[in-house]
Amino acid sequence: VTPTYWRSLAQIEDRPEFRASLEREFPEGASELPEGVTRRDMMLLLGASLSLAGLAGCRRPVEEIVPYVNAPEEVVPGIPRYYATTMPFRRSAYGLIVESHEGRPTKVEGNPSHPSTLGASGPLVQASVLGLYDPDRSPSVMQQGTRKSWNDFVTAWGQLAQTHAADRGAGLAVLSESFSSPSLARLSSELRARYPRLQWATYDAVSDENRLAGLRFATGRDLDLMLRLDRAAVILALDADPLLTDPERIRHARGFADGRRAGASGGAMNRLYAVEGVYSLTGAMADHRLRVESRQIAPFLAALAARIAPSAAGAASLAGAGAPDVDARWIDALAKDLLVNRGRGLIVAGERQPAAVHAVVCALNTYLGNTGKTVSYHETKDAALPSVSSLASLVSAMKGGAVQTLVVLGGNPVFDAPADLDFASALAKVPHLIALGHTVDETSSKVEWHIPRAHYLESWGDARAVGGTLSVIQPLILPLFGGRTPVEVLGLMVGGQDRPGYDIVRETWKPILGEGEFDRKWNRVLHDGFLSGSELPEVVPKLTAQPFAELARLIGAGAAGAAGSQPAEAGSPSSLEIVFVPSAALHDGRFANDGWLQELPDPLTKLTWDNPALLSPKTAEPLGLASGDLIRLDYAGRGLELPVWILPGMADGVVALTLGYGRSHAGRIGSGVGFNAFTVRTSKARDFDSGVRLTKLARTYPLSATQNHGSMEGRPIVRESTLSELQSQQPSSQPAHGSEQASRPAQAETAHAGDSAHAPTGGGVPGKLGVFADEPHHFSLWKEHAYDQGHQWGMTIDLNSCIGCNACMVACQSENNVPVVGKFQVAKGREMHWLRVDRYFSGEPSGSPEVVFQPVPCMHCEDAPCEQVCPVAATVHDGEGLNVMVYNRCIGTRYCSNNCPYKVRRFNFFNLTKNTPDILRLAMNPDVTVRARGVMEKCTYCTQRINRAKIDAKLAGRALRDGDVRTACQQACPASAIEFGDLRDASSRVAKAKADRRNYALLDELNTRPRTTYLAKVRNPNPDLEGVA
Amino acid sequence: MIARTPRIVGALAFTSLFALTACARGCTTSRPPIHINPSMDDQPKVQPQAASDFFYNGASMREPVPGTVPIGGLREDAAFFTGKRADGQFVATIPHPVDEALLERGRQRYVIYCQPCHDARGDGKGILFQRGNVPTASFHQDKLLKYADGQIFDVITNGTGLMAAYRWPIPPADRWAIVAYVRELQRKRPATATGAPADTK
Repeated sequence: VTPTYWRSLAQIEDRPEFRASLEREFPEGASELPEGVTRRDMMLLLGASLSLAGLAGCRRPVEEIVPYVNAPEEVVPGIPRYYATTMPFRRSAYGLIVESHEGRPTKVEGNPSHPSTLGASGPLVQASVLGLYDPDRSPSVMQQGTRKSWNDFVTAWGQLAQTHAADRGAGLAVLSESFSSPSLARLSSELRARYPRLQWATYDAVSDENRLAGLRFATGRDLDLMLRLDRAAVILALDADPLLTDPERIRHARGFADGRRAGASGGAMNRLYAVEGVYSLTGAMADHRLRVESRQIAPFLAALAARIAPSAAGAASLAGAGAPDVDARWIDALAKDLLVNRGRGLIVAGERQPAAVHAVVCALNTYLGNTGKTVSYHETKDAALPSVSSLASLVSAMKGGAVQTLVVLGGNPVFDAPADLDFASALAKVPHLIALGHTVDETSSKVEWHIPRAHYLESWGDARAVGGTLSVIQPLILPLFGGRTPVEVLGLMVGGQDRPGYDIVRETWKPILGEGEFDRKWNRVLHDGFLSGSELPEVVPKLTAQPFAELARLIGAGAAGAAGSQPAEAGSPSSLEIVFVPSAALHDGRFANDGWLQELPDPLTKLTWDNPALLSPKTAEPLGLASGDLIRLDYAGRGLELPVWILPGMADGVVALTLGYGRSHAGRIGSGVGFNAFTVRTSKARDFDSGVRLTKLARTYPLSATQNHGSMEGRPIVRESTLSELQSQQPSSQPAHGSEQASRPAQAETAHAGDSAHAPTGGGVPGKLGVFADEPHHFSLWKEHAYDQGHQWGMTIDLNSCIGCNACMVACQSENNVPVVGKFQVAKGREMHWLRVDRYFSGEPSGSPEVVFQPVPCMHCEDAPCEQVCPVAATVHDGEGLNVMVYNRCIGTRYCSNNCPYKVRRFNFFNLTKNTPDILRLAMNPDVTVRARGVMEKCTYCTQRINRAKIDAKLAGRALRDGDVRTACQQACPASAIEFGDLRDASSRVAKAKADRRNYALLDELNTRPRTTYLAKVRNPNPDLEGVA
Repeated sequence: MIARTPRIVGALAFTSLFALTACARGCTTSRPPIHINPSMDDQPKVQPQAASDFFYNGASMREPVPGTVPIGGLREDAAFFTGKRADGQFVATIPHPVDEALLERGRQRYVIYCQPCHDARGDGKGILFQRGNVPTASFHQDKLLKYADGQIFDVITNGTGLMAAYRWPIPPADRWAIVAYVRELQRKRPATATGAPADTK
């Protein structure tokens, strides 16, 4: 097997524009001046502004000191403090530690002792702090668009409450998002007690409703599950994405990476099988990936169940179920692997899959003895469970005029409710509408009373996290715009009085903690962020129904339905399958006004600011579609025009639509970005369905992807090996020449086998690295520094652990004040991310190509090419091995960027931060320079964190210890792929990682001696599946 | 471009005239100095104690939300942090062993924060009393001699009468050190009635 890595279809097809972009080194326009200004104009303008400067502006800015009037105890200006709090997300809750500068939250990290984050975080968590300082947040209570005060609303509610007290709530309805919160659950039950005829609906656009229904069918109870990927030896993901779109992604990623790392360091390594239609991050990490349409998952599972549990009750009915078009050897090998690893296997089904699939997965996990080991169940408690049918019955009541007052308790149903329900027109029939929203969004702009919603960093609240752990939401700052929390609105509805959220939440917690010494216990909970020991007891599910029979029935119905409505024409353009996937960045659209997330490249497509329909190359071919072509999508009587993007590795015959884009009232960042896939999503088929038709339009649409930027000319930069190779290989016998290349496992673009490691083979620039590998000593023109004093910082990035989730990118952006540039500048390659995550495909593009992710920050080369060309010494080395930028010296020649082989330097073509609104200034990290126009910038190894740790250690009178300095990317990484520390400390984690045989330096042959090195990826393929596609 | 050039040249000539005639050095002005290259002097971020136009009181520094507990800010030892026992009574003795190091620390803090009013001997005849006739309590009056240690701590924490609260500048451990030192002053007073204790110049 000779993996040939390629970055995009344009590359493998060798289109002229790709050649051009490769040879240009920087994308078209990236190095030119802004449009419409010639160089001569620029000189004139410069001259004019210089002399104008003497005249009027450019006085030294006057800065005033505004101290505290009543200085709070223990706040020392300039020294951040940290608070534990919780970010609720759907029915999950992320335990966080938030950094507060003088009472303003600026940075979010995971809480190491909280079970949902384990100290790590993800892009949504990292970017949530920007949501607090969103300039488009609603500034006040509004009645029909005019500003009112909260007291006006309290008065208005008093009148409504009287009306509904008379009819016992018959005309009152509440529509909420799903939640798991003791306070909200208590208030909602009190509200129902007060208004017994109240109608309550719970709706989430993206939900785990199917899984709940499946478990309810199988066991008769409402159960939540908790996956323990760290304990699993064999994992099967059925159209599931536990590593990216699942709410518990952070702890899943940690568990999965633990299992990968264990294998690479000599232990057992987990093996991941993915069966899916849409290329997911989990699929990208899989050792074996099978592309099938989403509707083929159920038949696949039936075939698997028939092999695993042929004697189980009801399994006989599956024998006849039509097996999908899958190589039987694949299913055999998988079944064998799962059976061998009883109690150490894990089957996960995705939220998109129907309830019967989840029920069978539960049954199979139980049959295989995995329940209680790799997956555990517990009762849902204090929860409002999502239910589309509750929304549907609410809408029909609204349309029938039965609802007098509707309270939308968060959420944005006008935007994300199923299109066939036509929520907006039902809304028009309700006389009194009240909506709680962060912005005046699609829903809030149509209601009588809009109430600004407090951000979680401004709220008192509580939540049950994974496993039922009770967590508390503690505010970091008073509401910036007088926002209210759902707890406070419900509190008003229940008691008729305006009560602070603090009192309500404490009242809920009194029975939980006990009256004795309540304050002491409560403060302990606030301090820790959660109540330890509050997880719910595990439930061993008893199967009360016959899931296998249900699955057989589902498959039968599906086959009949397909045969009835669609003349069997599988694969033809008219019978494509439509699949709705949540956005990796915006989820269901709630984060649409967050610039960091909009500009965050999608992990697989590397697209920013857009959501084209995703197709496989083979699906696009008969339609004559190329990436960027506009199509008209017709499905179930609804149409949508949007561009397409060809993503290799998608199942053929699948059209994936990403939800969350196309908001009309998101704010100045998110409005009008992308295409609204909710307009074709119906309550019958919220997940996937067949029968979609695509028509090519004669237009194209510009899409901004970061994928071809900074291409490394096809040189072997990603290395991978297999577990068996790693184990069979003797520890390197090569002489230790240059510590970074003690050993080379299999190298990209050369064959894995040792005999061909030095022999040039086809494709790319093979063997080049081998030539250099033969040469033990690099020759340097420069007098090399010894770097044998003080701390010597270094980093390793383990490609084997990295799941490519982009948490590090947003963490870096938040920590280092990295600006957002917008779609059109991204298209020109002017994105400013200091850390990018490259994605390489290998394998047949029309088949099922494999993916490797590679985060690339500044390498901090000891012989840095950038430093050698800077004419003003703006980039220099410090004594600890950091390649530092002196922004004030930089005159913007960009020579450094030209000379950087890793293309990690970013140039401020514009004064991107000049007109920063006052509120967004609050989101900036005060410890990091905000760069101006004309300045080069790049990763600093979080030098501000290094210095802070040094000061803290000095004040504490001790030496700096390993782990005192953690870079933002390292701290955020849920997979613990990044290690950072002192290379001179042999006991440091980074020094140990560098001693690993898999350690290699990027573009080692250039002898830049980078401080950041990589650990090669290791795959763990099943030997039984060799040669099986 | 052609149409624009004369205008730009005109503007240039006009402005350079001003630039030349404007007084660059040697003239007094109440305005801040001319600063041609801003060079990121004024960044759109909020540094400690900076002003902010966003908040109505003009300050960027916010007070912590009442009731919140920062990490490391859990004050479970009420006696140590408030000087009071659980029943609200002042603690009789310093909840910390008193040794030379603590007394020395207390002396340092006392000289910095207390001596300007209370003077080196604790007579309440400090520089503020001498110059401004600010009435200051003597530590050697009977009332204060009878104070429990916790009550002195409470006075430092919350202030009393004209005395301001010192909870912000002095951390609790240092407050206890000062209490220890004040007790030492009271103890030494009869012996050194004729002059200051040797170690408190």
